[in-house]
Amino acid sequence: MIISQSTMDVDFVRKVEALSGTSVRRCFQCGKCSAGCPMATFMEHPPNRVVRLLQLGQWQRILAGRSIWYCASCETCSTRCPNKVHLASIMDALRKLSWDAEGPSKESYVQLANKLFLQNIRTYGRQYEMRLAAVFNVKSGQFLKDLMLGPKLISKGKLKMFHSKNKNLPEIEKIFTRIEEMRKKGEAL
Amino acid sequence: MSRIGVFVCHCGENISRTVDVERVAAQVGKMPGVAFATDYKYMCSDPGQTLLKKTIQEQKLSHVVVAACSPRMHEKTFRKAVEAAGLNPYLCEMANIREHCSWVHEDKQEATAKAIEIVGMLVERVKKNRVLPTITVPVTKRSLVIGGGIAGIQAALDIADAGHHVVLVERDPSIGGHMAQLSETFPTLDCSQCIMTPKMVDVANHPNITLYSYSEIEQVDGYIGNFQVTIRRKARSVDEDKCTGCGVCMEKCPVKKIPNKFDCNLGMRPAIYVPFPQAVPNTPVIDRDNCIKFKTGKCGLCQKVCGPGAVDYEQEDRLVVEPVGAIVVATGFDLYTIDEKPKGSMIKGYGEFGHGKIPDVIDGMTFERLASASGPTGGKILRPSDGKEPKQIVFIQCIGSRAREKGISYCSKVCCMYTAKHTMLYHHKVHDGQAYVFFMDARTPGKAYDEFWRRSIEEEEAVYIRGMVSRLYQKGDKIVVMGSDIAVGVQVEIEADMVVLATAIQPRTGADSLAQKLGISYDKYNFYSEAHAKLRPVECATAGIYLVGACQGPKDIPDTVSQASAAAAKVMTLFAKDKLEREPIVARVKEAGCVGCFACKKVCAYGAVEEKEIRDRQGNLIKVVAYVNPGVCGGCGTCQATCPSKSVELDGYTDEQIVAMIEAL
Repeated sequence: MIISQSTMDVDFVRKVEALSGTSVRRCFQCGKCSAGCPMATFMEHPPNRVVRLLQLGQWQRILAGRSIWYCASCETCSTRCPNKVHLASIMDALRKLSWDAEGPSKESYVQLANKLFLQNIRTYGRQYEMRLAAVFNVKSGQFLKDLMLGPKLISKGKLKMFHSKNKNLPEIEKIFTRIEEMRKKGEAL
Repeated sequence: MSRIGVFVCHCGENISRTVDVERVAAQVGKMPGVAFATDYKYMCSDPGQTLLKKTIQEQKLSHVVVAACSPRMHEKTFRKAVEAAGLNPYLCEMANIREHCSWVHEDKQEATAKAIEIVGMLVERVKKNRVLPTITVPVTKRSLVIGGGIAGIQAALDIADAGHHVVLVERDPSIGGHMAQLSETFPTLDCSQCIMTPKMVDVANHPNITLYSYSEIEQVDGYIGNFQVTIRRKARSVDEDKCTGCGVCMEKCPVKKIPNKFDCNLGMRPAIYVPFPQAVPNTPVIDRDNCIKFKTGKCGLCQKVCGPGAVDYEQEDRLVVEPVGAIVVATGFDLYTIDEKPKGSMIKGYGEFGHGKIPDVIDGMTFERLASASGPTGGKILRPSDGKEPKQIVFIQCIGSRAREKGISYCSKVCCMYTAKHTMLYHHKVHDGQAYVFFMDARTPGKAYDEFWRRSIEEEEAVYIRGMVSRLYQKGDKIVVMGSDIAVGVQVEIEADMVVLATAIQPRTGADSLAQKLGISYDKYNFYSEAHAKLRPVECATAGIYLVGACQGPKDIPDTVSQASAAAAKVMTLFAKDKLEREPIVARVKEAGCVGCFACKKVCAYGAVEEKEIRDRQGNLIKVVAYVNPGVCGGCGTCQATCPSKSVELDGYTDEQIVAMIEAL
């Protein structure tokens, strides 16, 4: 698909700059971030290209892809950037914006998995893998994915058939509400 | 009997690695006429030169041969040392056993044998060397500056301030050149007019500067220190002495719709005009091709309204001869013409990007005129086609530059910076507009240059897209620009209201014919060649002629101004002496043998051969012979090779010397 003015969303760039507290325009594409990124080989857009796409306001392309979810937040890019672009913060901001956007990010399984993971924590106070796997498979539409691993994990005691609740559930709920309030006020990502 | 001293240099290991220098010295020492031979590790070092001087005195040497590197490298060094020891410097020769021997051979036996032969040749040659006296020529302490742009203006002011008279020749009706056309200048964004016009006024008022505007160089004779320059003062049709610059003639002129070249044809001017209001001199000129009086013989309105009676239809071109000692060439550049090929040029037109076909595709200089407060739109950026403000503007760099296919492989050096400046000027004037730049590389080597370029992206929000545009076309009232972002690897398409092409800098049309008049060399593009790219950047190979600004190669204003002051300093160095000394390697005519055929005159590249009458005591003409002016002679030896009666000899390279060398083999 060709990049044209109609897809160049400069407001999105400003949003990322405000959230991350770092300049996106400052990047001059030296490529050092991609050169040192341990996850770059797994990404369809290496880190430098993520920034370049961002400069051109191509948020759909970034959020539709998996690059931002493969980022391990190791901050090697930020540490080495010769131009003071804090790429790790940009990645954080992009993940947050992807989370908020009910758009192309739906395609991302990583985001779905993360969402379900947190839902489980909120409901049970700890992880309930059986439910996580089942709901993930249903919601992602791949019903039989990893099905044969189930019996093996159950026999080894790694996968519980029934859930057990954390006794400090109200405390955990407090953490979630506090973070939600902070995000509303813009104090957290 | 000559007492020749031979000094064989090791050049560290450069020579001694492949040549047995001790054996060379021993063998050469046995040759007839050689009184002394030795070898030393570094002859050019201080102890090496001391050894040379001491030996000359102790051994009472008559001639010296230094077997070392190329004479281009150290001939001057050793001749100076020989002179210090009391010998004539031209009795010292160098045998090149490094470039011609040790560096190009591997076998030590063979290389040593060859080195001995080379030194032997020079020993025979030096025996025939004559004592040559240094030639002195007088210096006329006046200077000619060709071109009245910022380069010529700065050079003229610097020389004039040093107290020497300057003749400044400008082809156009006003000085100012391209810089006067610019709106603002990088990297400080100061207004070009504000920094330029005071200098133009200084030129007009300086007691040491004679300004010939609307004039061209007709002919150049003479040599360093003594040039005779013929200048054609084109008929202006207005008397410069009488004109007060009131401008009534321009108001009354009935022909008003002539595109003004100064405004890149965006503005109009009358047939009697000054190119721009701040022109120096502020004297109008009649454009005879468009004036009704010159076309039909009627009208004559300007003459009637002129109070001081300065308009003169009868005026003709005048030739003025000025004697000068130095010439500064500052003829500047032309912008790459996209749709036409300059006559006789190897540079092809572009034939792409719609320039000349789509009215809203303009070049950088046109954009400058649009952005200039004194321009045709009063500083408003408006489309030439419909006068609307462009909200989406695309700049394309490297138009012509670095396009080998079009005949230019060089970088024009200023386009990256002026495009960055254009995006800023645009953003300052059209706040809700968006600028896009298609570029291959951003080349910003200069003080505060890269910061300037980054500012255009980071603060002025220009979108830079790395990748050349493949094509553009008109679609309704938009121009669709098709390129690609090579960092992402995706095609990019922008619908623009206006497109600005950063066109290349190329030499002035006719730069070659001026170079031929001056006798200076130029490259394949017609840029003038400096004597040495690094060590003599403002001098021509032709003595007494200096280069400034874009006529030598693409250059920005800071570089041009520095070069102008550098050339002025060179001129002042020349003028610091009353007489000039030069190497006496010049041709000499043996008048007894000369029959006056002047074959030498025909082949002389320097115009050094003159005709000389030989008369007896009663004044009767005996014969006319050739005479070589030692001040002009370049020492090339062509006359010596041409002379049918062997009556010309090049001192230092006589037939006798060359034959002696061959016989020694």
